[in-house]
Amino acid sequence: MTPSPTEPCRASVQLSRGMAIGYHSVLATVTEDISLENGTHYLLARNGRGKTTLLKTLAGLLRQKSGHYSTHGHCQFIGDEFYFDRELKSKAIFKALIPGPHREGALQLANQLELDTNKEFGKLSFGNRKKVGLVVAEFRILKGSPNLLFYDEPFTGLDTPARQAISDHWLSTSERTLRIVSCHPDFDTMAMPSALLISDNEISQEGDGSLTWADFKQRLS
Amino acid sequence: MISLFRLTMATMFARKMWVVVILASILTPIIFPLFTPYETNTALLEPARAQTAWSCTWIVAILWTLSQAARFGESNSNSGMGSYFRSQGVGSLRQIFALWSAVMLSLLPVVLISTGVCLIFAMPADPKEASMWVWTNLQFATLLLLAIGPLALLGVGVSSRCGALIGYVVPTGLCLYGLYGVTYLGMTIRLRDDNKILEWLYALSPQYHLADLTPRLIFKMGHLPWSEFSGFLLYFFAITIVASSLATLLFRTDPLGN
Repeated sequence: MTPSPTEPCRASVQLSRGMAIGYHSVLATVTEDISLENGTHYLLARNGRGKTTLLKTLAGLLRQKSGHYSTHGHCQFIGDEFYFDRELKSKAIFKALIPGPHREGALQLANQLELDTNKEFGKLSFGNRKKVGLVVAEFRILKGSPNLLFYDEPFTGLDTPARQAISDHWLSTSERTLRIVSCHPDFDTMAMPSALLISDNEISQEGDGSLTWADFKQRLS
Repeated sequence: MISLFRLTMATMFARKMWVVVILASILTPIIFPLFTPYETNTALLEPARAQTAWSCTWIVAILWTLSQAARFGESNSNSGMGSYFRSQGVGSLRQIFALWSAVMLSLLPVVLISTGVCLIFAMPADPKEASMWVWTNLQFATLLLLAIGPLALLGVGVSSRCGALIGYVVPTGLCLYGLYGVTYLGMTIRLRDDNKILEWLYALSPQYHLADLTPRLIFKMGHLPWSEFSGFLLYFFAITIVASSLATLLFRTDPLGN
């Protein structure tokens, strides 16, 4: 993993052709050079095809099986199981993890997401627990620096208004952040301007800016 | 690293067990000695307070500090927190140190309370004895922290890999063995001459009873001679090196073994 010479606020992820991911054996291989920049890129694949493995590899948590990739930016990997202590209130979590100047914004987004920040984490519903992790990650991004956020199924358990609020927030901060978001969309009209697909053990980039989930669904094997 | 430390501290505050621990540390050395027949010999009250204060600290360290260490080690690995911080460049060493320092920082007030109770409520009237009393308590505090610190680190390391139960049982077993078991082993060796295996076992065993200066306080034996104390410090530093190496080797930031 080597940082590439890019503009200070442009986060980037580059996967070279032949880069392979996996644990003991190869799960998937990049078929052609992929270059991602600021914005939201969805990662689509069926279960067990390597979505989490790819995100973990890009976050530096796993070693690639072969080939090269490079990332530029302050990285955060938010796994699908990202939990806090049951007795901690969201407000206390934000206080511990989010720098002071960003905390007000975090509370505003939490309010927009209808997250009760005075409730213990253990008493929150599954969807609301997901929101805590999302808010933490979003407000730990470094201002004035490129940021990389790798989300593993952040939308699981979230209702449509919450998902919309998060998408809007992502759009408003896309000038300094690159997000790769693995998900299993549940409605066909969900817009996917850029997507990474893992299908037939191959990783490829798709999307011309106008596609939806319905367009990608058939391509996943 | 600071974020993980702050999160761990916030979690400990939220669990509220610290209230019970602090209250127990303050109240037991004052109240429990009053249940003894101290009226017959009031001079016994002060050593009894010292004994209760330090016994309470050992109990808190074993029951609370080591269990917290085990719990945090496991949850850091299983909750996705370890991976999250590692993706931000906070490596295993910094993570285990952040968890450990939060756990040990929570034990510090208890040690300070015990020292304070001994210095305020059990201070001998004689100035020479008083000076020795102060030094004995300070030596006790240092040795106790040096004994528990590496065990807590081991607890974090073991539990991140094997779960909270094993992460608690291993350091606690070692601590109890070093405090009491080793003494019995020593007695057995004296009774049964020429048992090389037992002698080796004794030599390799952690001698945590050296960190327990309660008898010196009860019988007002004065502080440890400085040469002996330095030897104890070196011994516990050596244990610290072994335990921390083992703990950091075992420590995992996620359950898949990374």
